[in-house]
Amino acid sequence: MEVPVRLSELPAGGCFRVERILLAREVGKRLADMGFNEGRRGVVVRRQLSGGPLQVGILGGSVLIRRSEAEGIEVGVLEGRC
Amino acid sequence: MRDELSASRGEASRAPDASPAAAPAAACSAPSGRAPAAAPSSARPLLVALAGNPNAGKTTIFNALTGARHKVGNYPGVTVEKREGRLSHRDREIRLVDLPGVYSLTAYSADEVVARDFVLEERPDLVVDVLDSTNLERHLYLCLQLLELGVPVVGALNMSDEAEAKGIAVDEERLGALLGLRFVKTARGAGMEALLDAILEAAEGRGPEPRLPSYGPELDARAADLEAAIAADPAFAARVPARWLALKLLEKDEAAERLLRGERPSGGEAGPAHARLEEVERILGAARLRLERHFGRDAEIVVSERRYASVHGAVAESTRLAGKARFSLSEKADALLMSPLLGLPAFLLVMYGIFKLTFALGAYPTAWLEALFSGLAGLAGSALPDGLAKSLVVDGILGGVGGVLSFVPPIVILFLCLSFLEDSGYMARAAFITDRFLHRFGLHGQSFLPLVLGFGCSVPAIMSARTLKSSRDRVATVLAVPFMSCGAKLPVYVLLAGAFFPRNPAAAIMGVYGAGVALALLSSLILKRTILRGEATPFVMELPPYRLPTLRGILAHVGEKTGSYLRKAGTVILAASVLIWAVTTFPLAPEGATPDEALAYSAAGRAGKAVEPLLSPLGFDWKIGVAAVTGFAAKEVVVSTLGVLYRTDLDGSEAGPRGLAERLKEDSGMTPLVAFVLMLFVLVMPPCLAALAAIKAELGWRWLAFEAAYLAALSWGLAFLVYRGGLLLGLGA
Repeated sequence: MEVPVRLSELPAGGCFRVERILLAREVGKRLADMGFNEGRRGVVVRRQLSGGPLQVGILGGSVLIRRSEAEGIEVGVLEGRC
Repeated sequence: MRDELSASRGEASRAPDASPAAAPAAACSAPSGRAPAAAPSSARPLLVALAGNPNAGKTTIFNALTGARHKVGNYPGVTVEKREGRLSHRDREIRLVDLPGVYSLTAYSADEVVARDFVLEERPDLVVDVLDSTNLERHLYLCLQLLELGVPVVGALNMSDEAEAKGIAVDEERLGALLGLRFVKTARGAGMEALLDAILEAAEGRGPEPRLPSYGPELDARAADLEAAIAADPAFAARVPARWLALKLLEKDEAAERLLRGERPSGGEAGPAHARLEEVERILGAARLRLERHFGRDAEIVVSERRYASVHGAVAESTRLAGKARFSLSEKADALLMSPLLGLPAFLLVMYGIFKLTFALGAYPTAWLEALFSGLAGLAGSALPDGLAKSLVVDGILGGVGGVLSFVPPIVILFLCLSFLEDSGYMARAAFITDRFLHRFGLHGQSFLPLVLGFGCSVPAIMSARTLKSSRDRVATVLAVPFMSCGAKLPVYVLLAGAFFPRNPAAAIMGVYGAGVALALLSSLILKRTILRGEATPFVMELPPYRLPTLRGILAHVGEKTGSYLRKAGTVILAASVLIWAVTTFPLAPEGATPDEALAYSAAGRAGKAVEPLLSPLGFDWKIGVAAVTGFAAKEVVVSTLGVLYRTDLDGSEAGPRGLAERLKEDSGMTPLVAFVLMLFVLVMPPCLAALAAIKAELGWRWLAFEAAYLAALSWGLAFLVYRGGLLLGLGA
């Protein structure tokens, strides 16, 4: 496992493992409710250009989150397939 | 629509007194502090709530059970208001309430509050949790939270056919044994008999013994401590399930904290605070600290993660995945429709296509209907003797209502397109594509659906803004919806554009639509910079898979909308047409007056002249002014009023009756500039009474007053600027 990075830094197609949520109560809780829990694997399906939201495949579905929320999720990068 | 909803709300709120008496018989084993009760008497209908994540298919099950035909959408949060239906099964009456879809019971957005308060306050006898079998891990998360409430739960493993097709085999017996509830497989309305049997079984205490979910020794122990402290006040614990409250408090849920202090979750008084409030708060503080030390992260995250861990264990033991056809057609379509480069052009193309279809295709049947009504007017004109009766039928009724009915075809086409998009799942993609753009203007990606629905009708559009989490975003979105040109404004545009921009009516109409969108954005930007300042709110939403909309679903939706348009034409617009005919006819002018003199002599003529100074700066003479002002009742009324004001005057014309567009062009003295200004005025003026009522219901009187005054001022100001500007540019001719 490498140094944790922010989910927002991952390229499209990048696989990750959730390390921890850095965001404050309500948003952090919401992300946890949507399946961003420690150890869960996911993939950045696609990113919108220049600052738009990300589509993240996690927990058997797709979740759309804004880049600012993705900055609050610390992940470990997984090499290869996820 | 709203009446029905408020009626069902009223009914639901009358019933709760009955519920505690028959508090779920099956809950007795749960240490939730609820008094065990005898099996519910068969005299009172069972109160059953349908809960589930968005897109789990709750509405489909609701419709299959009650025979109702409610709109099924493929967008998170389509059911924004709870609905009620009745049915009976094996001689047992059941009241079924369809709750808005929620991911969690944290009261994150307005629709989650509706769902959560219903279960807490109305105490249903049973909750049916509808789950998407293809994604049990996500959907069981809510199921556990329902079990925490100590209410009997039956799980409907919906979309089981899709799961099987994907090679997901769920052992529902095993899953039920692990979690302590009955699961029934359902799909596309099949499996309802078994589901109803399971409901009766569980409600009568014959189902599996419910138990509280276990979240591992550490969290269970902390929750148990806190639960014991809460249960020390028996009167309090009888009102609020203690175990549930304990977990919510550990999660730092603000609504739960308010409940403990004796306030209603949504504010206001609920009852006495906990008798040993300080004691509970002390234990809570210590428990949170211990959890955060033990797990090394915030308590609210811990509870969430433990729930998912519990779900994961149960799913792993009860489901098998054969094969892995994971990425499907949805993914291929999204590669284009959501692509960073092509997503936006594709979106614009879709929108353009809808409007093109609406206007180009809708123009033909509209022309036929217009011819039909002109023919009818001619027929009535020659059949009826001259006099007031003839004038009422030809000018009042056929002229007014006929003018509005002619525009049904484009409206039907528009509703068809919007329903198709909504049911297919495309709207969530559009939210993804437009979020960044809308965000700049103080709106939100999730504002997109309400805004687009606003092209159809403002009332459902305003209601759908409930899926927005922050009240700031909700206010901004609701206030922007009236700028979207709703279906009722369309007839006004089509009439005026057809009469005054004969070369390219579509361009004029598109211009007004575009102006509406631009105004919605600009206005939101101004509000964001002035009275709606605030933090940016998060954008976190689930992306539903594409689903092929069913013909039945779309037709039901379009039928409902068209029906309400037709009803409006038969009631409000008919009444308004007759009223306007009356005020333009009486008092009768002295014998020998020309039609124009007679009109000026009438009540409307006098009132119109009185307000003329207010509207003449916009280029409106008193007739146009009267027509514009009547749009406050409903926008189509502008058309019917013009129809009545510019009468057919059958006697004078040799060439047979003329269409309204022709009469306007020849008799009204309007220039294209004035016609365009009138279109803009109708676009921006305060919305119809139904939409104002919806704004009041969602945001309250203050915002309603603000929006009405704001739009009234803006419509006048904008019309003034455009008219004067146009004159300066020499466009007045």
